[in-house]
Parts: sequence; structure tokens; C-alpha cells
Amino acid sequence: MIEFIAQNMAPIMFFSLIIFLLVGYPVAFSLAANGLLFFVIGVELAPLSNGSINLSWPLLYALPDRFYGGVMANETLLAIPFFTFMGIVLERSGMAEDLLDTIGQLFGPIRGGLAYAVIFVGALLAATTGVVAASVIAMGLISLPIMLRYGYDRRLASGVIAASGTLAQIIPPSLVLIVLADQLGRSVGDMYKGALIPGLILTGLYMLYILLMSIIRPKSMPALPLEARTLGSGVTSLIIALIAAGAIAYGAHVWLSPTHGDNADILGATVGTIVIYIIAIADRALNVNMMSRLAQQVIIVLIPPLALIFLVLGTIFLGIATPTEGGAMGAVGALLMAAVKGRLSLDVIRQALASTTRLSSFVMFILIGARVFSLTFYGVNGHVWVEHLLTSLPGGEVGFLIAVNILVFLLAFFLDFFELAFIIVPLLAPAATALGIDLIWFGVLLGVNMQTSFMHPPFGFALFYLRSVATRVPYLDRITGKHIAPVTTGQIYWGAVPFVIIQVIMVALVIMFPQMVMHYKGVVVDPGTIEITVPEMPGLGLPGVPSLDGAPPAGGAPAPGGNDLSKPPSFGNETPAQPAPPSNDLTKPPSFN
Amino acid sequence: MAGLLALSRAIDRFNEIIGKAVGWLILLSILISAGNAIIRKVLNTSSNAWLEAQWYLFGAAFLLAAAYTLKQNEHIRIDIIYGMFSRRTQHWIDLLGHVFFLMPFVILMISYFTPYFLLSYRSGEVSTNAGGLIIWPAKALLLAGFILLGIQGISEIIKKIAIMRGDMDDPTPFISAHEAAELEAKALVEELKQ
Repeated sequence: MIEFIAQNMAPIMFFSLIIFLLVGYPVAFSLAANGLLFFVIGVELAPLSNGSINLSWPLLYALPDRFYGGVMANETLLAIPFFTFMGIVLERSGMAEDLLDTIGQLFGPIRGGLAYAVIFVGALLAATTGVVAASVIAMGLISLPIMLRYGYDRRLASGVIAASGTLAQIIPPSLVLIVLADQLGRSVGDMYKGALIPGLILTGLYMLYILLMSIIRPKSMPALPLEARTLGSGVTSLIIALIAAGAIAYGAHVWLSPTHGDNADILGATVGTIVIYIIAIADRALNVNMMSRLAQQVIIVLIPPLALIFLVLGTIFLGIATPTEGGAMGAVGALLMAAVKGRLSLDVIRQALASTTRLSSFVMFILIGARVFSLTFYGVNGHVWVEHLLTSLPGGEVGFLIAVNILVFLLAFFLDFFELAFIIVPLLAPAATALGIDLIWFGVLLGVNMQTSFMHPPFGFALFYLRSVATRVPYLDRITGKHIAPVTTGQIYWGAVPFVIIQVIMVALVIMFPQMVMHYKGVVVDPGTIEITVPEMPGLGLPGVPSLDGAPPAGGAPAPGGNDLSKPPSFGNETPAQPAPPSNDLTKPPSFN
Repeated sequence: MAGLLALSRAIDRFNEIIGKAVGWLILLSILISAGNAIIRKVLNTSSNAWLEAQWYLFGAAFLLAAAYTLKQNEHIRIDIIYGMFSRRTQHWIDLLGHVFFLMPFVILMISYFTPYFLLSYRSGEVSTNAGGLIIWPAKALLLAGFILLGIQGISEIIKKIAIMRGDMDDPTPFISAHEAAELEAKALVEELKQ
């Protein structure tokens, strides 16, 4: 019995972890406690384990170094507080509200226009903040009442809002991608590059769904009536303004390229953007009204977020800043934006810092707990067990990906992405590597999959955020005077279902077309200037921690070695090698003494 | 019990002050990081000390705030089954968790980090990066974080027993993650209406 336990420590440890976690004590300390308990058991049972347990007391002394070097001195994870702070400040700046109002007016006149506006703004917010709650709540407050007022189908309206809010999870800069990059031992910049195209394609799929529905069931999403277009028409004016901006940008490019070389592209675009922004503001302030009101408003509202996106993603992709620095600059940019709008106060900063500190603290302590767990889990050859389990799945690479995605999809019902990323992902990564799967591709795939966990009923958080802002009681609409029925929870749940299906389709697409992620390799960057602060952090592995009792290191995987010895054919392989020495003899001059 | 509760209140207050104050270090870290990036681009100079200062500050924030996060009951749990238990069972889970999960881990870490820090302090260990910072303050932060977490653990155990005996009200009644999400949404809505 004891021997059975000793030789099956890895599965026993893993299943006790599940129980430890389900009991409901905080995840961080349950992980640590599980790791320590099984460390003690492991050391005691090591002699009975036939060498499958490589644990001894001195190994525990590796913990301080793992916390210091792997958790605290981790410059990748530094991006987490930066982007979190940026997101919270932006949420308070009212940017989302302005965008929804204006873009709603711009797209409103076409059928399904409000839905497109929600998706477009969702993607735009995703590229700046990465906070699901903020996007969903802003849309639920601003767009949902308008959609209900003009007779949008309730399921469709709530589904599109919940789903668009979750785009923040997959479109860079998202926290999920940072954590996944760290755990997979890849650079955040590559992960962002890899996720960008799938994120945009997913946004396109949402829009495609709206387009299809507007053809199949046109009544489910009417165009805004004339009296609802408060900014008036004036799309022509907007198009002319955009063409003018493009012309200015091109002119600046031509003018600057002799002196600034490659930078002229960006500088030209910057000049064009700034000029049209200043013209729009001056046009409105001086009441010249050269442009239509719609054009003014769209330009004034859209350019600051676009500038912020450039400040963060642009500098990261161009290799000017590391993702961590991009986050810091975005945070400063968000502070400036909130200040310009008169929404910045000491209290806002204090609250944003409090939320950021709280999130950082629990996330980093989950990582600390996970380090304790992994120290023991690797010591009992848990990684070998998991790898063997996963690589022996039928279907090779595709079979593995499908199985893992189903597993993550199911786990995401009750684990949030931090827990998945810190506990499950490090176990999957070695198996993925063994199968020759690119880890960025794997990470993006998991990212799209985990995004689903925000919207599948009944646990998805986006649905809860929407539920809490959607009306529960009937009310009289103050503009049309119509009677508006409450939005039921059932409508919110059913509304999310088509988008969950789209999500599954997207996972399949990423599996079938890896090139939409793989392009990240194509961009050659100068490592001398950029990679300074992006160390390749090992995941939860055990490098550099030799087991101190003289046993082979934990990563040494004794199992394959044992297999080789047990195979008779290995002698057969040696025999052909035998004839070699005699041939050497022939080349030598004979030395018969 | 009254004496213990007074001790618990003192610990809570102490960790609350620290937990709220360290948030500002994150803002400082953000400013250093953004400033460093701009200076590197414009003046083409950079120093490892500025890079290291960022994670020093962030480390200080998350390590020293862990105790306050524990007090606020904000370390995330998986509440899918926990939420179904009676409040009394939840109290038992918390109490046993504090005693058998949290405290042994924290005490072990304090006992490891003390020599770990002292060794670094006595040898005056300096970062191996050119122009890097001295290292012992970072290691001292790890030790301090676990010490704060340990004393907060003591306070939590005292409070839990007092609550279960009926000596005090529950300061952090259970709310599920989804209820927390709804509360967060309500707070946001209030704010936007202003």
C-alpha cells in the first residue's frame, strides 16, 4: 500500500490539490500547503519509490531563491500592475462613454449599427484597457438602453455587449497574455504580436454574425430613426476630413523622409493625426463649423484612444519600449487623458492604486504558492506523469490540442484565468514542447479559449457585470415614452450562446491556421536595443536547482533511461557499430614486431 | 479574549496603514518605468539601477500588502463549493486553513528568509548587473512580507475564534465572487452618475 502511494505520488498529489482548492481556502496558501505537505510525505517515502521521487530536505532551501529570482525579480510580471492601473484610470476617465455615444451615432443609421458600434468600441477599449468589467458595464449602461429603446432583440443586444467586453482578454495588451507569456517562458512582445491577428479576426467574426443576423432577421436590429441621430448626418464631411488628414500625413512623410529615414512613416502619420485633431478642436471652439458636427465629434473622441493605443502597442511592436515600459507609458497617458477631461483627482488615483495593489498581491501570491507546489510536483516526477499522459493521446499534435482545449474549456467554468495560467499551463507546456508545438501559438489558443470563460452561462463574469447594469424592472423610456420591459437573466444567458459558439469556431480556426499567429516570427527586431528588460523566464521548471543528495536532477527523467535499458533491440543497434574499429586498423601501417 | 482582540485590532490597524501606503510605490514604479523608457530613447542612456528599482518598488507593494489583502479577505478562493456550505462550516474551513495551511507555510518561510537575508546583508551583496542596486533590501522585503503575513494570520485566527464564540460580529461576511462582481458594477455605476 505504502509502496503504491510512493510510486504514484504525482497523481495522488494532483488530485489532492483539486480537493484542497475546492474546499475554498484562498488558492495561494492552499497551493503552498499542498506543496509542503507532499514534500514531507515525499521525503519520507522516497526510499520506497523506485527512484520516482527525488526529494530531500535540503531542496526546500531552494524556495527563497525561487521567490526572489522567479517571482520578485520578474520584470515581465511587472507589466501586470502597470496595465491594471492604466485600465482603472481609463475606466474613470469616461473614455468608454464618449466613444460609445459618438460611434453609436456614426454607425447608428445603418441596420445593426449599434451592434457594430458596440463591437468596434469593444475592440478599441480592449486595445487600451484590457479590463472586461469596465467595458461591459459602460456598454450595458450606455448602449443597452438605446438598443432597447429602438427595438433591438434583447438576446442579441445583451450577447453582443457581453462578448465585445471580453475582447479585452485576447486583444493586446491583455493581462492574460502577459501571464501566459511568463508561464510559457516566452516574451510578452511575441505573445502580443501573435495574438493581434486572431483578436482582430475574432472581432471580424462578431461583426460577420451581426451582418448575417441583419439579413436573416432584419427586425431584430433596426437602424436608428432620424430623430435619434443627435449629431446629425455629415459622414461626407468626415470622409473628406480623413482624406485631408491622410494627405497631410503623406506630405509630412515626403518632407521628413530625407532627414528622418525610416522614422518618417510614423512621424508623418503622427503629424497628420495631430493636425486634423487640432483643426477639429479649433473648428468647434471657434464655431467655424467647417466640418459637420458628426465629423468634429468623431475626430475629437477617437484620436485620444488611438494615440494611447499607439503609445502602448505601437511602441511595443516597433521595439521602442518593452511591454512593461509600454504599460507604464500607457498608465501615464491614461493619467494625462483623465486630467485633461477633468476627471482626475487624488481620490481616483488612490482608489486605482488600492485596486491595483490588491490584484497584484493576490496574483503574485498565487504565483508564490504555485512555486512551492511545483517544487514538490517536479520532485515527484509530476511533469513526467503529465507529459506522458498528454503525449500518449491519440491524434498527435491535433489530438493533444483538442484534448487540452476541451480540458481548459471545462476547467474555466470554475477556475479563473490566473489560476489556470499558474497551475495548469506550466503542466501543459512541457508536453506541448515535446510535441513540437510553438508555445506562442499554444498560448494564443489558450487565450482565446479562456476568454470564453467570461461569457459562458451561467458562470461567465461578463454576464454578471451585464446583469447588474441591465434593467430588472420595467420602465418608461424618457425619449420615446414607450414602455420598456426588463431584461431577463434568461435573455442574457441565451444571448451569450451564439458568441460562445463563435468562440469555439475561433479556437478551431487558430488550430487549423497557425500562420495567423506564427507571423510573429517574421518581424526581425534588433535584440540589442529592445530585449534589455525581457528576460526569458523559465516557467515553473526547476532549472538550476540540483537535488542535493547526489540523485540525478529532477529534470533528468529517469523513466526514458530505464526504458532504453529494458529494450533488447538496443544491443542490436550497437552491433553494426562494431566493424568500425577493424577498418581503422587497415589504414594504419602494419606493425608486426 | 478581550486582550487578544485588542492585539488583533492593533495588528489590523498596523497592516491596514502599511497596506494602503504601499500602493503609492506602484505609482512611483510606473513613473520610473515610463521616464526610463523615454530617457533611453531620447538620450540613449539607461541604467540597470532604474530597471531594478521598478521591481523593487513593485515587490515592496505586493509583498507588504499581502497581509492587508488577507485582512480584507481578498485573496481569491474557488467558492463554487465553499459558497454552498453554511456560514459556520465556512468559519471552520477558514480557521483550519489559517492554522494548517497558512501559518506553517509562513513560519517556514520566515525561518528560511531570516538567514537568507542576513547572509546577503552581511556580505553586502550587490546586483550582478552593471550599476545595479544592493540586493539585501529586496530580500529584507520578502522577509518583512512574510512576517506581516504571519502576524496578520495570528490576528485572523483570533478574530475567527471570537466570531465563532459569538464575541464579535463578522467583519468580512461571505460574498461569492459573482456577488462581488455585482457590487463592483454598482459602485462603478454610482461613480459614473456623478
